[in-house]
Amino acid sequence: MRVTHDIEITTSSVILDGQPIVVQQTGEKMLVELYRRFVGDYPKFFKMDTLSRLGFIAAELLLKQPAAGNQQPVDAVILANRSASIKNDRDYLATITEGNYYPSPALFVYTLPNIVTGEIAIRHGIQGETSFYILDTPQQLNAIIAATPFQSALAGWCECSAQDKFYAKLQTIWNN
Amino acid sequence: MEQLIEQLKAQIIEALNFEDMTPADINTDAPLFGEGLGLDSIDALELIMLMDREYGIKLADPKAGKAIFQSVRTMAEYIQANRTK
Repeated sequence: MRVTHDIEITTSSVILDGQPIVVQQTGEKMLVELYRRFVGDYPKFFKMDTLSRLGFIAAELLLKQPAAGNQQPVDAVILANRSASIKNDRDYLATITEGNYYPSPALFVYTLPNIVTGEIAIRHGIQGETSFYILDTPQQLNAIIAATPFQSALAGWCECSAQDKFYAKLQTIWNN
Repeated sequence: MEQLIEQLKAQIIEALNFEDMTPADINTDAPLFGEGLGLDSIDALELIMLMDREYGIKLADPKAGKAIFQSVRTMAEYIQANRTK
């Protein structure tokens, strides 16, 4: 198994293949900053919940790397986290509280953590397996990745537990 | 009517998270779905919720939606005729 690229995103830093990307903003504003600087052509980004924005931005930066582009496209997306879609679940819950019952369809569609894998697959035309696991620790994901048949994958930890509390560490991996 | 149209545009931008847009960017008579703003079915549900929340209008007949959501102007005309708040 060969890791070709990796990215780590915290609420105040982005490190791509060991090199920091300088950012001006922090938290969720930083994700918007990264979208405007490195993507800019996918308005659906603004409709996504934070977890999906996080995974989407990480995937955008990773899959734009030249070495990955010279090989066959990634054919699987394998992600995991500890808090599922709790941040968006709470946002949705706030729209159905007693006395203010206006359930938001836009929030409802993100009340599943695996939506982020779908967003990434749609954007990059990935037609292989997409999986999202709820685990205690990132280390548990390694065993799952090792047991999953794929040729090339975007895989890693993609966590958002509350407003401006998120962390992602994703890799592109080749099985050859 | 013009004031309602401007207010409605601002509410649509907020409800649908069009962070780069201003009311001036939305053509009052352009189609909301397909071409024009390019809204999808989830956006349609958000617009239905917006009309309920902001103007007290409950859309009971889904078939009526096609005419109402043709453009911002048709939405505003329907709101003006049917609003309860």
